[in-house]
Amino acid sequence: MPSEIPEDFDKNIFINCPFDSGYWPLLRPLLFTIIYLGFNPKIGMERSDSGELRINKICEFIRISKYSIHDLSRLQSRKKREFYRMNMPFELGIEYGCRRFSSNHLSEKRCLILEKSRHDYAKALSDLSGVDIKSHSNDPPKLILAVRSWFVETVGLRGVDSPTRIVYQFMNFMSDFHEKRTSAGFSDQDLEEMPVPEFMHFIQEWLQHQN
Amino acid sequence: MAKNSHHVVPAPKGGWNVVKGGAERASKHFDNKKDAEKWGKEISKSQGTEFYVHRRDGTIERKASHGSDPHPPRDRDTHK
Repeated sequence: MPSEIPEDFDKNIFINCPFDSGYWPLLRPLLFTIIYLGFNPKIGMERSDSGELRINKICEFIRISKYSIHDLSRLQSRKKREFYRMNMPFELGIEYGCRRFSSNHLSEKRCLILEKSRHDYAKALSDLSGVDIKSHSNDPPKLILAVRSWFVETVGLRGVDSPTRIVYQFMNFMSDFHEKRTSAGFSDQDLEEMPVPEFMHFIQEWLQHQN
Repeated sequence: MAKNSHHVVPAPKGGWNVVKGGAERASKHFDNKKDAEKWGKEISKSQGTEFYVHRRDGTIERKASHGSDPHPPRDRDTHK
């Protein structure tokens, strides 16, 4: 693995989460909080080159990101005959191995594991027993609180806005986003299905106007 | 968020807050959303502001216009 430190390594955060629409209520505040705090989310939905293998894209994001956030809250199969979802623990394993077996800057990688309830992960991934994780109870404001706490505790950010302010700013953004996009002809379904890069662009644009 | 607006938003540690657009603090906290909506609607009407009710994920559940809408619908006929 190359030892040269990638550009923006200290600012890139690999996001390992479900890609289905059911996760959007948590993905939106997650992306907002990361960008609000000045970091760059790196997420599989960011680019969709059909000629690029998904696993290669994931490995590239892991290589260029000092930080990663892994949401394991959707691993469980909820219906009969639904398969257990293994992509997320698999990608967490790559991240862990990359950090564990590197002797260069990659050994400085840090991660956040999110779960719905504090001890859910231990039932399926007992290898992680004793690892510090944060729970969000599937509640978007609680996810913002958990991610903000991790930025302070693990990333070492100081002078960060209060959790309440970040939640309010997210709500501010969402109402402006809704107003501006619907007045530009976007339907509610268009907003629901908006590609991740487009949504991240609107967050960045909105934050620039706030400063 | 436009300053001439009121919002019903989830409180980070549970319950619901009514917040004026651009404010750093909640105008009032409620244990349940229904009460927050009722109070928020009244204050929005009395101050002639836009009124937004958010879901917990931030998306807009309902909106009522009690003032001049800063983003009127595109199909509004402006040539009368």
